[in-house]
Amino acid sequence: MNIWKKALRNAAVAVTVAGTLLGVSACGLGGDSASSSSSDSDTVNIGVIYPKTGQYAEYGKLFQQGFDLAVEKVNKDGGVKGKKLGLKYYDTQSDAKQDAAVAPKLVSDKSVIAVVGDYASPASSAASPIFQQAGLVHYGFNNSAPTFTDTGDHVWTPQIGQDVYQKANADIVSKKAKKISVVYIENDWGKQAYQYFKEEAEKNGTQIVYESSYLPDSTDLSPILIPARDAQPDAVVNIGYGPDGALVINTLRDKLGYTGPFFGGQETSEFLDNAGKNAEGTIITGSFSATGTKDAKAQQFVKDFKAKYGNNPGNFEVTAYQAIIDLAYAANKTEPTREGIQKALQTVTDFPLYQGNGGTFKFNTKTRRADNIDPILLIVKDGKFVQYDGE
Amino acid sequence: MLDTIFAGLIHGSAYALVAVGMSLIFGVTNVANFAQGSIVAVGMMTAWWLGTSLGWGVVPTAIAVIVVTGLLGLIMNALVIAPLEGRKPIAALLATIGVGQILDNGLQIIFGTQTRRFPELLPTYNLQFAGVRFGTSDVVMIIFAILSMLGLWAFLKYGKAGQAIRATSQDPQAASQMGIPVKTIRNLSFVIGAVLAGVSGIFVGLFNTNINPMNGGTIGMTAFVAATIGGLGSIPGAVVGGLALGLIESVGISFLGDGAHDLITFGALLIILIIRPQGLLGGDDVKSEPLTGTFLGGGRPINLPWWGNLGLAVFALATPFFFSDYLSGVGTQIAIYSIAAVGLTLISGSAGQTILGMAGPFAVGAYASAILSTRLDWPFLAAFLVAGVIAAIAASILTFPVWKLSGHYVAIATIGVGAVMVAIIRIWEPLTKGSLGIQGIPFPKVFGQSLYTQQMQYLLDVIVLIVTLVIVTRIRSSHLGRVFEAVGSDQEASEALSIRTGAYKALAYALAAFFAGLAGSLLAHQYTYIDPTIFNSNMSILILTIIVLGGMNSPLGAVLGAIVLIGGPELLRVASDARVLLYGVLLVVIILFRPQGLFARKA
Repeated sequence: MNIWKKALRNAAVAVTVAGTLLGVSACGLGGDSASSSSSDSDTVNIGVIYPKTGQYAEYGKLFQQGFDLAVEKVNKDGGVKGKKLGLKYYDTQSDAKQDAAVAPKLVSDKSVIAVVGDYASPASSAASPIFQQAGLVHYGFNNSAPTFTDTGDHVWTPQIGQDVYQKANADIVSKKAKKISVVYIENDWGKQAYQYFKEEAEKNGTQIVYESSYLPDSTDLSPILIPARDAQPDAVVNIGYGPDGALVINTLRDKLGYTGPFFGGQETSEFLDNAGKNAEGTIITGSFSATGTKDAKAQQFVKDFKAKYGNNPGNFEVTAYQAIIDLAYAANKTEPTREGIQKALQTVTDFPLYQGNGGTFKFNTKTRRADNIDPILLIVKDGKFVQYDGE
Repeated sequence: MLDTIFAGLIHGSAYALVAVGMSLIFGVTNVANFAQGSIVAVGMMTAWWLGTSLGWGVVPTAIAVIVVTGLLGLIMNALVIAPLEGRKPIAALLATIGVGQILDNGLQIIFGTQTRRFPELLPTYNLQFAGVRFGTSDVVMIIFAILSMLGLWAFLKYGKAGQAIRATSQDPQAASQMGIPVKTIRNLSFVIGAVLAGVSGIFVGLFNTNINPMNGGTIGMTAFVAATIGGLGSIPGAVVGGLALGLIESVGISFLGDGAHDLITFGALLIILIIRPQGLLGGDDVKSEPLTGTFLGGGRPINLPWWGNLGLAVFALATPFFFSDYLSGVGTQIAIYSIAAVGLTLISGSAGQTILGMAGPFAVGAYASAILSTRLDWPFLAAFLVAGVIAAIAASILTFPVWKLSGHYVAIATIGVGAVMVAIIRIWEPLTKGSLGIQGIPFPKVFGQSLYTQQMQYLLDVIVLIVTLVIVTRIRSSHLGRVFEAVGSDQEASEALSIRTGAYKALAYALAAFFAGLAGSLLAHQYTYIDPTIFNSNMSILILTIIVLGGMNSPLGAVLGAIVLIGGPELLRVASDARVLLYGVLLVVIILFRPQGLFARKA
């Protein structure tokens, strides 16, 4: 009895094993792209990996406003080579684990001709190798980390490098102050930005009398702002984002009675709303001013944006908007395929530019970064960021 | 310095207030409530809405917050905690994690994603001392913290209901026989805890000024640390712990900078626990262990016959050959987390010691492998194996002093160890590049073949997972495994048989850390980029959640848990906004229906 049972089981196992092996021997480990051909429907898509939920969801919201408006415009102007342009949104919470999981899905979707996102560099970088390997352009429009494009020749970013940004930032600071205290956010972006800032500040002979980083989720910054204040600087400089920028300036002004100049914050309503009147006179280096831009197409964008959402766009909205416009422009210059986008990014030299002083920009084919976008200065006047000439 | 100390004490009193509620729940219900921080956030956001949109004053706002959070506490206990009564306490812990996720994401859906300014319900900066401005709000906060502490103490000591609460927590059966309505009393404890959390939310909002619906996690974690420093279950201890933590952070940060914030917070937790194993004011009378899993009579893992295991192994090995890129991509994540989780069953399942800091060894493995292969050009397989060894050694050294602690203090100390490991990685910039992260880690290369497709990497991950399963199963059925099991089932009895329980737990943990290190290495070589933010406390909690869901001491269950917990968010993509909220609901529902774990039998 027992022997029979055992033999039966063995047979069952053998059959299963053999069957499965037989079934899979026809397939391989080459991946989807190796075994399928491209589709020819009349819609092509740009894949979006972004934080719709989770701790970075606020940025995801701003991005989505820019994306949606851009796609509307592209399709109103005739789409890409006669095809309709669509967006395929994937929420990743800007969590590397989810980016790695979802990236292959975008790769295997043949209607996707390029991918934009993610918000944070670790999340973006977890997806990059997968796009690179599949020959799909990864357009990390928000990823200014200096090593971001190192993954391969299909990884691009139009972000102004922090070297350029922070040089401008340190230069305007040096005009106003000789001795400064600096606090900056402790992550890949903040660390890098501060290194560039410090280099330029040293060149300018600006003396840094106090420096400290802070973790993004710290709620009380008095322990670093008290020594920052007590070092008696001519100005306090903050390199960070909106909410933490507001926390820094509020702590300095409300809690520690600091009245001197402040450089920092971010061009978002989060910063302005949270800092309130404390933000008045704050100077930052940005790439876009909704009220100050002199570029005709950028002015039109501001008008359209306001009509659709009721408020002026900031840096995040404009970079998201421009990312889609640029990719559509690339597709129209060559063809709306993965290869077409890559080729266009390498060869086209007049991508429409909405940031900085407007006009057009091109990519440096070695670094795969935008070559000629200039940062601008912004100052808070009457609760709003306006362009500042530096005087 | 005086100003720094003063600022630290004010911040500390905000910690203290939240910690009091935490300690109350812990002390009287033996549930480590991971949703407590989220309830604070509920109070905070409710007050924000009433204070700004409706312009209510502080008193009506406070009353509304009390009603809302009180109801929430009642519902939470009735629907989620009470049904798990008599189950392993770890099941209730897991349920509170699920509730926390539901609350956090629910708040985000209701109130939006923005960080906002909390309304000035009380003047916040009208007073000044030592060059630091503070406000009526801070004074009221401190008075409220002290009053709630004294009030609770008196209530628990002399009040009739308070005495009933204590009796219920010590022995529910006995209490019930003495005519105490145990159910009502438990509801009461949860309502009091939730109301305290809600009201603290108002003060935390006033203090932080910047508020966001997702703040709950951080608030809860620091309060938990404060409560532990003071001595878990001790209400005066929670206040002392909160003030001490505020002071230590403030002074420490003013010397080392806020980049070392985590190192200071969790380093202080570890040092205080090593010097005073029961916390500053904790007695040593807490016998029950809310954070441990396997008691005699706990769930038993379901064992498959050998041909079942073989069939599954063959099936798993076959999947990379017919899975699409997407399925393989999800598969890699499931397999990698499974490897860490299967290892964890040895210490948390068999040896009965909950570990809440697995992100630590995971990160060390990832970094070791990344550094060996990018800086020293080691081949992948060598870097991979050595990464596991390095993770085991680093984790063992840092955890060494922890084994002399007892009960749930070990579990909490492991949170500290995990956080300290990642904090050291962040600070040790010459080696690890700190926050900048390591870029350009090569894809795994095995016998000359670079694994560049999802399917290839997935196949590698599956092979490592199967080897891990075989090793862990062999250990479980060996003599060593029986000793682990004995230590986990009854520590006192094991000691009586002259088994050195601390040493065996350390060994089981080293093994778990080895596998976590391997998982970290696989992750690093798949992402090709790592930085310290990847290895956060959510990762630690996820790995533990996986094995709790699968059935604490079931290696196969761990794989099943990983499929549910990592595949789940992908399956729920259709739900858009509510995706993460539904994920929390799924977690709670599973734990309610199978509190012993998916792949375990009831005893």
